[in-house]
Amino acid sequence: MKTEIIIAGFGGQGVLFLGDLIAYCAMKEGKYVTWVPSYGPESRGGTCNCQVICSDQLIGSPAIVHPDVLIVFNQPSLYKFLPRLKTNGTLLYDSFLIKELPAREDIRVVGVPAFQISKMGNMVMMGAFLAVTKGIKPETVYQTLEEKLTGAKAKFIPVNKDAIEKGIKYISDKSLETSNE
Amino acid sequence: MGKDVLTGVHFLSGNHACVEGAIAAGCRFYAGYPITPSNEIAERMSVRLPQVGGIYIQMEDELASMAALVGASWGGAKPMTATSGPGLSLMQENIGLAAMTESPCVVVDVQRGSPSTGLPTLVGQADVMQARWGSHGDYEIIALAPSSPQECFDFMIKAFNLAEIWRVPVIFLSDESVAHLSERVVIPPKEEIKLVTRKRPSVPPEKFLPFKPGSDLVPEMPIAGEGYRVHVTGLTHNEKGYPDLSAKVHNKLVPRLVNKIRKNADKIVEYEELFTEDAEVILVTFGISTRICRDVIKRARAEGLKVGLFRLITIWPFPEKRIMALAQKIKAFVTVEINLGQVAIEMERIVKERCKTFLIPNAGGAVHDPDEVFAEVKQIVSGLVE
Repeated sequence: MKTEIIIAGFGGQGVLFLGDLIAYCAMKEGKYVTWVPSYGPESRGGTCNCQVICSDQLIGSPAIVHPDVLIVFNQPSLYKFLPRLKTNGTLLYDSFLIKELPAREDIRVVGVPAFQISKMGNMVMMGAFLAVTKGIKPETVYQTLEEKLTGAKAKFIPVNKDAIEKGIKYISDKSLETSNE
Repeated sequence: MGKDVLTGVHFLSGNHACVEGAIAAGCRFYAGYPITPSNEIAERMSVRLPQVGGIYIQMEDELASMAALVGASWGGAKPMTATSGPGLSLMQENIGLAAMTESPCVVVDVQRGSPSTGLPTLVGQADVMQARWGSHGDYEIIALAPSSPQECFDFMIKAFNLAEIWRVPVIFLSDESVAHLSERVVIPPKEEIKLVTRKRPSVPPEKFLPFKPGSDLVPEMPIAGEGYRVHVTGLTHNEKGYPDLSAKVHNKLVPRLVNKIRKNADKIVEYEELFTEDAEVILVTFGISTRICRDVIKRARAEGLKVGLFRLITIWPFPEKRIMALAQKIKAFVTVEINLGQVAIEMERIVKERCKTFLIPNAGGAVHDPDEVFAEVKQIVSGLVE
């Protein structure tokens, strides 16, 4: 089992941290993982993306051509990466920031207004990712946050956790709606 | 004091793993000048070295950084710096000084797209030749190329040990992709890490000749301030270390500097082979490109193609003997590298008419696409059958 994920958006949206967190958590659950960031020389405002692979086997190339999961936070990233998403792949996009959705019928599309739900939009998306893919246990993520955010950063644990829970809830509410229809 | 060996399982980038490897290897002196994509090394070093009683200096430029390494080396430290291609160019003068004065040190070069300023944040592997003979004159260095964060840790220990044994600058040829790739890194217990330190004087100061070589062509090394007379110069010097500007002394010194690596290559060279026993075509590669080739080999074998992998761990000295032996029994070598043929030209030189040689080049900016490499390899294999 090998899952390839591309996460893309503007610098400053927490794109790299989201990827780092997914990879670290998968590693804690015993997977082989790679995390590769990609960004330009600017520190904020440019587009950036990262590529995460989680696998049961040793990973060769860490570069992803056709991802299984695409998570995007802005319009340019959607245009850039959507054509590369695998058939039957999953698109998670911020429906608050992305208004135009190019048509692709062969994929699963999940819109989450992440940055409307919380300032920690990336963590809302983490929650949505957990709920949709079910590849990583939420408990592992909460544990990891506590390990990663120590000292002065420890105060950010509750807000991050809250945002993740909101993301999970958004997906479960949404699927409830669809099943009622 | 903080811990020098962070035994345990970590999620580290290649750059951060380099730092932990260096500190575990006994590095306690870092002098450098920041440059993308090597900055995470300087950043982590500036935090870690003070914790373990080491010295971190941000220098005014790369020339001074490299000069500081030579000085620190003679002060008894295991010194290192980190830079990228443009910085390595600026360090060349004093890399030559380190080679001439036989000062053990490690220079990490996180290769990026080049030449000149090139692609600061994107990958390249085009410093292979610069690493070898970037400075003027005849000299030999050792160069290692890691392909994962775990190897960044492991090979940094190797790099310091080799620098100490052979008293040369060791160039650590990392690249942007390996440097920024994060993976699981397992740091072993301190007692499992084997460290080597340079040979120290075996005779009292009055009998000591600082540049008189042993049977391995490497002289014993005194440390400044211990009572031994230490005169270190970039001028051609005799066994006492004093300038002696004669053809006779020069023709003794320079061949020794070269031969201590060339004649001992068997003890230094390291490589990794995969499916080479029955291979008809062997991919030759190093660094991040190793991982792309691993994918390609897997696919080739699944389709029944007899393709193998020869991966350079030491790029310099080059594993000539083994390549010559393999060339006798296969049809072709295919070099896969993120440059326009720097290892490939060395392959041609060694292989000669023994078998065919091909190159799958890439000027940089991104790693090879495994699909494209596989397609090219397939084409080469089918061309050989005809």
